[in-house]
Amino acid sequence: MENCYDFISWLGRDVSSTILKFLEDPADLVRVSAVSRSWRQFVIEYGFCKKLCARLFPAVSRIIRVVEGNGIMDHIEIGSNNSKEWENLERDHRVYGLLARGLMSFIRRDCISEAISASSTDNYPEESIQNTLEPNDRVDQRASYWSSKGESNPAVSETLTYKLISKLCVITEVSVQPFQAFFQFGFPIYSATAVRFRMGHLNPPEAENVHMDRLREDQKPSGDQFVWTYVSPEFPMAQENRLQKFKLPEPVLCIGGILQIELMGRVQRQEMDGLFYICVAHVQVVGRPLSPAFDVDILDLSGKCILKYYPEAKYCMSPARSSECEPSTPAHLRTVRARLMQRGMRGWEQMILNTLLGNVAVFADDDSDEEVID
Amino acid sequence: MASSSSSLPSPSSSSSSSSSKKLVLRSSDEKHFEVDEAVALQSEMIKQMVEDGFGGDVIPLLNVSSNILSKVIDYCKKHVDFDSKKKMDDRRRWDAEYIDVGVDELYHLIMAANYRNIKGLLDLTCQKVADTIKGKKPKQIRIIFNIKNDVTPEGEQKIRKEHSWAFE
Repeated sequence: MENCYDFISWLGRDVSSTILKFLEDPADLVRVSAVSRSWRQFVIEYGFCKKLCARLFPAVSRIIRVVEGNGIMDHIEIGSNNSKEWENLERDHRVYGLLARGLMSFIRRDCISEAISASSTDNYPEESIQNTLEPNDRVDQRASYWSSKGESNPAVSETLTYKLISKLCVITEVSVQPFQAFFQFGFPIYSATAVRFRMGHLNPPEAENVHMDRLREDQKPSGDQFVWTYVSPEFPMAQENRLQKFKLPEPVLCIGGILQIELMGRVQRQEMDGLFYICVAHVQVVGRPLSPAFDVDILDLSGKCILKYYPEAKYCMSPARSSECEPSTPAHLRTVRARLMQRGMRGWEQMILNTLLGNVAVFADDDSDEEVID
Repeated sequence: MASSSSSLPSPSSSSSSSSSKKLVLRSSDEKHFEVDEAVALQSEMIKQMVEDGFGGDVIPLLNVSSNILSKVIDYCKKHVDFDSKKKMDDRRRWDAEYIDVGVDELYHLIMAANYRNIKGLLDLTCQKVADTIKGKKPKQIRIIFNIKNDVTPEGEQKIRKEHSWAFE
């Protein structure tokens, strides 16, 4: 015993847990759990992998349960209660280890799946929020931007709300390009004074797809359609025609996949009517989506949720379930759709697009009557 | 072992010219250490004892031997000093040197820091143990801490299969 320095038996579990809390790489925790049976038991029973995730992103503490695969196995009792409990702990260890790895990865990509709604739109569909998905401020020789309605009070703010490509995304930065009206005298730039960002989930969370369709486009959100679990600080915005990058103070785990940009305060008056407008040419949300391997079910308004892990989804690009094909809509199809919507879509174009996108709601008609095609 | 002149039989024989209040700590092997109150109060446990009115007497530290206690006092003295100067680089350099000890001494320091509730020292020592684990394979960890492998080959195979990403 003299030369045995097994600290878990030497120092006890309390002090040993202080030691293991200094391990920041989930791979270290997994390797530690393979050292001996007592170490394995300690690491798994204390849930160090979950604790690591929660230290990285406090939002993880809203996860109350983990389900692996389609969750059916979860309801079948195997063996005694004790061995079942141990199996659950082992599963949590495994899943949170992978989650920590996903949370820490360096993948960076555009995380916007689609535009949900704008607080106001001056001319629909010509100045729809859909245009902000398009990187250029001109498409097919027409200006491409979103415009608010005009206000005489420059303090009135506006919001743009987007759905992200995964219900679990680590967001690191948001970029907004104000629109410069190159067709107006003096080339005014309709930027805002400041921006801030909210992240959260739908309210009620279970009403997902139905809800989304109802919300889209020109409808004014009443304010209680989303539950916000994060609000960023305010960032000042420059009255300059460039993609302005706003880096969050630290990466944020968005559970629920909804992001809102609040454009605070107006700076540019339109000469023609003397009213203040805000116009945005392009929006980008940069981060790392955790789909398709991870998904969440949000249970209630406090944001408590179930973490779902799909082991088989590790190497494929989109979730297996057909009803979920929408979040992985490729960018070029999104662009096609945005363009078609902008100039009004004809029936045959709609049909082709529907075939390309799968079962996705598309809006049509030159007089902007909305029509949802199933 | 004990550095400086801290082994004193009683508080009355203090040679310090400082007028700050002194406390006397007694190690498990009956050695006495006189220290400034500010130094002793780095320990939350002693702070609590002083607040409860034990400050006038000799404070017995039953679980801490004199060589470990003197090392702990070194840490507390230095950090009282650092707290007043806020030189982070100096502090880091000093801590790194201070903690460069064998596993046996390290464990005793951890136990003393835990028992006396000195958060800074506990973090420093625990971090040191964690650093020796980082990036190591289970086999290497067993060698460092001299741990017997009681995981069956099948068990280990299963772990490696389920967490293949951590063993790449």
